[in-house]
Amino acid sequence: MWVYEKKLQYPAKVCKPDVKMAKYLIAQYGGPDGELAAALRYQTQRFVMPTGKAKAVLTDIATEELAHLEIIATLVFKLLKGVPVEILKREGLGEYYTEHDRGLFYADTTGMLWTAAYIQAKGDAIADLHEDMAAEEKARATYEHLINLTDDPCVKDTLRFLREREIVHFQRFGETLVHIQEYLESKRYF
Amino acid sequence: MDGNQISMLKKIMEIEFTCIDLNLYLDTHPEDQKALQDYNYYSNQLSMLKQQYEQLYGPLMVFGHSQSQYPWKWVDAPWPWEIEY
Amino acid sequence: MYDYNPYVQDYAFPPLKLAQAYVPLQKYVSLYPPEEAIKKGTVFPELDMPYVGEKMR
Repeated sequence: MWVYEKKLQYPAKVCKPDVKMAKYLIAQYGGPDGELAAALRYQTQRFVMPTGKAKAVLTDIATEELAHLEIIATLVFKLLKGVPVEILKREGLGEYYTEHDRGLFYADTTGMLWTAAYIQAKGDAIADLHEDMAAEEKARATYEHLINLTDDPCVKDTLRFLREREIVHFQRFGETLVHIQEYLESKRYF
Repeated sequence: MDGNQISMLKKIMEIEFTCIDLNLYLDTHPEDQKALQDYNYYSNQLSMLKQQYEQLYGPLMVFGHSQSQYPWKWVDAPWPWEIEY
Repeated sequence: MYDYNPYVQDYAFPPLKLAQAYVPLQKYVSLYPPEEAIKKGTVFPELDMPYVGEKMR
């Protein structure tokens, strides 16, 4: 089961409200390579992983991704806080406001809703770990794009933290892949 | 929300973050004794910090993982996304 | 030839096979102190690979 902790993983700050950046950041909330997709992808892949190490890595990284989901939500929440409707409209969030006001919803930056089609679970450890490594790289690239899109040093600071986590996760999935390859190889001979 | 609460929260975040990163390392290196020793060291530090925090500001976790003073403090503000760090 | 890398475990890969991907196994070397680790986004100096920014490319 999961238990909530009433704290963020990282002290996410914004220096000033910024509607455009909120619109871009939503990509990491409900977009194809966002944190929801990451958490749900790893969470559902773990059930048929063949070893304890692989189950642990997927469980723990899925859990950390949920913490990242909350960090992204916090940034968006703060970027939109107190912004008048006219400005939301002018900055391209009129459609979003219509449906969600300043609330959080699982959509990408173009308004496309989150879908399970963003993720894969092939039931094959090798295939799934390759997917996971690719997912971490895509998320890293997205964070770099987002860093380039803002000049708010507070937002950049949090995005740099999240980007670095993708690198660490890639390393752990990579180690898990090599371990699974060895495990499957050993099973062929014994 | 007072400055002490924020600085205690940030300290907890720091130690917990070190635990998280060591945890992921241990998942792929379960036999690394030095890493495990460091993990246990920081985990112990984290429990102490959380206990101190919860006595002052209410539970960080529910579902029986920590106790609350009267009245049930879990419902109190601020929630994590409302805090100015 | 094998170049010594202090951050990669001496444990060798099994003979590398075609059509398989490999990431070297990290070795436990040193840690950033907790207050620095959270700022970097990792406790491991060898995994600390900051973004250089668009202008550098």
